[in-house]
Amino acid sequence: MSEGGSTLGRIARRSFLIGAGVVGGGVLVGAGVVAWRLGAIDGYELPASEGEASFGAWLKLARDGRVEVAVPHQDMGQGIYALAVMLAAEGLRLPLEAVRAIPAPIEARYANPVMLLDGLPFDEASHGALKQSVVWTFDKILRVLGMQGTGGSTSTRNISAQIRRAAFCMHDMLARAASARFKVPADQLRNVGGAFLTPDGRTATYAELASDAGKLKPNDIQPPPLARGAYVGRGAPRYDVPLKTYGEAKYGIDTRQPGQLYAAIRHAPRLGGRLDRAVIPAKILGVRGIVEGKDYVAVVAETYAAALAGLEKAEIVWDDSKASSVSTKDVFAAYRAALDKGMDFKPRWIVDSAGDVSKASGKEIAATYDAPFLAHATMEPMNATAFVTETEAKVWAGHQSASLVQLMVAKAANVPSDKVEVFTPFLGGGFGRRADLDYIAKAVEIAGRFKGTPVQTIWSRAEDIRDDVYRPAAMADISAKVDGDGMPSSFVYRIAVPSVTDQFVARALPSAKGGMMADRTTVDGALFPFYGLPTRSIENFTVDLGIPVGFWRSVGYSLNCHFVECFIDELAVAASTHPLDYRAKLLARAGSYEPAIRAARVLEQMAAFDKANPLSPGKDGAMAGRGYALTASFHSFVGEIADVEIVKGDLKVRRVHAVVDCGFAIDPPNVVAQVRSGINFGLTAALYGRVDFDNGKVVPANFDTYPLLSLEDAPNISVEIVNSGAALGGVGEIGTPAIAPAVANAVFAATGKRLRSLPLTFGTA
Amino acid sequence: MSVEFTLNGRPTSLQSPPESPLLWALRDEAQTVGVKFGCGAGLCGACTVIVDGQQTRSCVTPVADVAGKSVTTIEGLSGDVAKAVTEAWIRAQAPQCGYCQPGFVLAATSVISADPKQSSDQVLSQITNLCRCGTYDAIRLAVGYALTSLQGAENHEKGAAR
Ligand code: FES
Ligand code: FES
Repeated sequence: MSEGGSTLGRIARRSFLIGAGVVGGGVLVGAGVVAWRLGAIDGYELPASEGEASFGAWLKLARDGRVEVAVPHQDMGQGIYALAVMLAAEGLRLPLEAVRAIPAPIEARYANPVMLLDGLPFDEASHGALKQSVVWTFDKILRVLGMQGTGGSTSTRNISAQIRRAAFCMHDMLARAASARFKVPADQLRNVGGAFLTPDGRTATYAELASDAGKLKPNDIQPPPLARGAYVGRGAPRYDVPLKTYGEAKYGIDTRQPGQLYAAIRHAPRLGGRLDRAVIPAKILGVRGIVEGKDYVAVVAETYAAALAGLEKAEIVWDDSKASSVSTKDVFAAYRAALDKGMDFKPRWIVDSAGDVSKASGKEIAATYDAPFLAHATMEPMNATAFVTETEAKVWAGHQSASLVQLMVAKAANVPSDKVEVFTPFLGGGFGRRADLDYIAKAVEIAGRFKGTPVQTIWSRAEDIRDDVYRPAAMADISAKVDGDGMPSSFVYRIAVPSVTDQFVARALPSAKGGMMADRTTVDGALFPFYGLPTRSIENFTVDLGIPVGFWRSVGYSLNCHFVECFIDELAVAASTHPLDYRAKLLARAGSYEPAIRAARVLEQMAAFDKANPLSPGKDGAMAGRGYALTASFHSFVGEIADVEIVKGDLKVRRVHAVVDCGFAIDPPNVVAQVRSGINFGLTAALYGRVDFDNGKVVPANFDTYPLLSLEDAPNISVEIVNSGAALGGVGEIGTPAIAPAVANAVFAATGKRLRSLPLTFGTA
Repeated sequence: MSVEFTLNGRPTSLQSPPESPLLWALRDEAQTVGVKFGCGAGLCGACTVIVDGQQTRSCVTPVADVAGKSVTTIEGLSGDVAKAVTEAWIRAQAPQCGYCQPGFVLAATSVISADPKQSSDQVLSQITNLCRCGTYDAIRLAVGYALTSLQGAENHEKGAAR
């Protein structure tokens, strides 16, 4: 099933399987059961205590008269709590201060199917019946499975429509209750700060009306399409900003439980290495014990400093008999070999194809690109606090899925899931790292040796970088045949890369079998191009040398958008056409294909900016250049323009302009902040990011060997929002994919040198 | 053996070993958890505190070094400059995940306090903290706002946009 056959054929077979009721992990869900469970979860109500009134799954009126909105996502800095407050306040005609966000209970009702649905290998722009039915079926099953999660730039897309609808429904119920009480038609009532006002001046607050309203049958209200309102489309100050500015926000690492102990952890230095034994030779003040894990050792003490001192003195013997001896060069050699083997290599997937590339004619242009492994390096290193007894477990930790944490803690602590409590403080960064929950499992294991005592396990920065799940390294061969005008008559894209999804599934649900279908993330950013490339083949060669890989901000887009957009630049140069004009021509060839139209609109704004803000010449003999890249990711479209200067081999990015179409910007200042964030994240990767392996060991250990973009080197970034009115797209990751290619293309414009390897460096190698 | 010093205006004595990092003594013993752990090697500034006016990385400062000195963490930040800086931070909506922000706020307060007449660029060049969320544009804006409010009429907001 991995070779040949149209995408359609494969999907048809797969949809049959789903109909029969089998989904990854061997969970059986018959159609009747689905319907029954759906009824049950749709009727879910937020638990209300004495004096509170619940209005369904999303909203309740708290005792202090404020409305609480349930948020099933973690706030990792993307501002989802503030957004939920904004949408609820707007729908309920309340001032922002009258609404607060609360974490949603761990319930199937709050599942995030969007994250997994985005992984289906479909053209996002297609509305075919088959796609619709497969997506519908997956959506229902995923909701029943009830996986809550934060990732894939999905929070807003997952909950905004549901919260708006809930808020409009609740407002309607309150209005009907007020109308009945005052015997005044609902449309003559006005809203003033959490109360209804009649034309003759009588008022009733929402709280006073709550119990009457609660007796009414909810109407099925469909909110009007998103448009600029009191807060929506304007933005509002985020409630978490003062907490974070004054240092009052509490992160996982700030958890303080009575009698808490601290653990310092060290993992086997080589991938696949095991712990043989470890002892602390002498008594160290404050040290309470040593925990020997399968592939780690942890020292538990009364303070973290004592735990660190204990770890320093511990005599540790590692068992390297099963350790990996992989080095970076082996990985790239394996990629090269796989791509050279071509058709005969397995597993290989043609994820998207059209026309017959073998029949295309014209001059061939070909190039090979590569990119290294990358660490997440969240500012708050991995940590978790756990409290374990024989019968229950509690965990305090930043994470990206409460449902998965609950499952995993139950397993690690050997208690039933309903005896697991998960407390989620603020996250000091996620970027996909906190979707992998190894750090929580280990903290639970360690606390399990100190039953009845909370233990906080903190990873040093070296452990955090060396035991990450990395953005995979990749290599891509790209080729095109071009006609007399330099326009492509064929486009062949082949990438060698491991599958993040397969590895993640194997880690999170060991009973599930991965590798059954193409991992769409491996080719995200290359498949279903918005450019008119009617004759194409987009192929994935899955090559896995056992290096752990995970979701890293924008996942596959961070690789494929880079490779594709650099190559498009090469085609434009070969055609002696300005890169913006060349892209416009390619988009025009796609006709009325919706993604091409959205991309063209973004491109137009880029061209307008380009004209109005010419590149300033380099100062003091610096070479200056401007580069462009156009990308679509997570249902949003982003174009970026980067201006660079090269002074004596030193590359500086001076300024970046981004044009963004995310459908509709509910919170524009936050969209700007997120896009800037994504760009700076991508710049760290473009300029410095690389994690090398040497004989199974991870080379970098801290910010000296894995540098992050600094304030001094961060460019000024301007962001322009295009509200196209398309369905909502993601925002949290969309700034990242376009920046590396925009900078690489700018380097070419400045120097005539095409850098095809990341990070972008000159001549030292 | 204990180390005596002033923490956020109050006389304090820490029992942590004198050679151990101030960072962990502040977090685990004094419970001022606004001091954040980022790298433990003086490379990121998440653990910044102000020692006798100077921005200081507490992860590479032994407890003994602050004996007899005055240490300020985010919990004890006060005064005109601190007020201008924190208000500017909020106005610029600078934090995202927020983990690095106390360090930035303390660094900015210390640098601006030394000479509130400096330009934005002068202030920014003395802040070498790292932010993984990439809030740098907002931080430049915030520093500009803080200087404007401290200096009155002069317009540093332009400078902040560089
Ligand atoms: S934690 Fe001290 S500088 Fe990074
Ligand atoms: S706000 Fe997240 S690291 Fe700076």
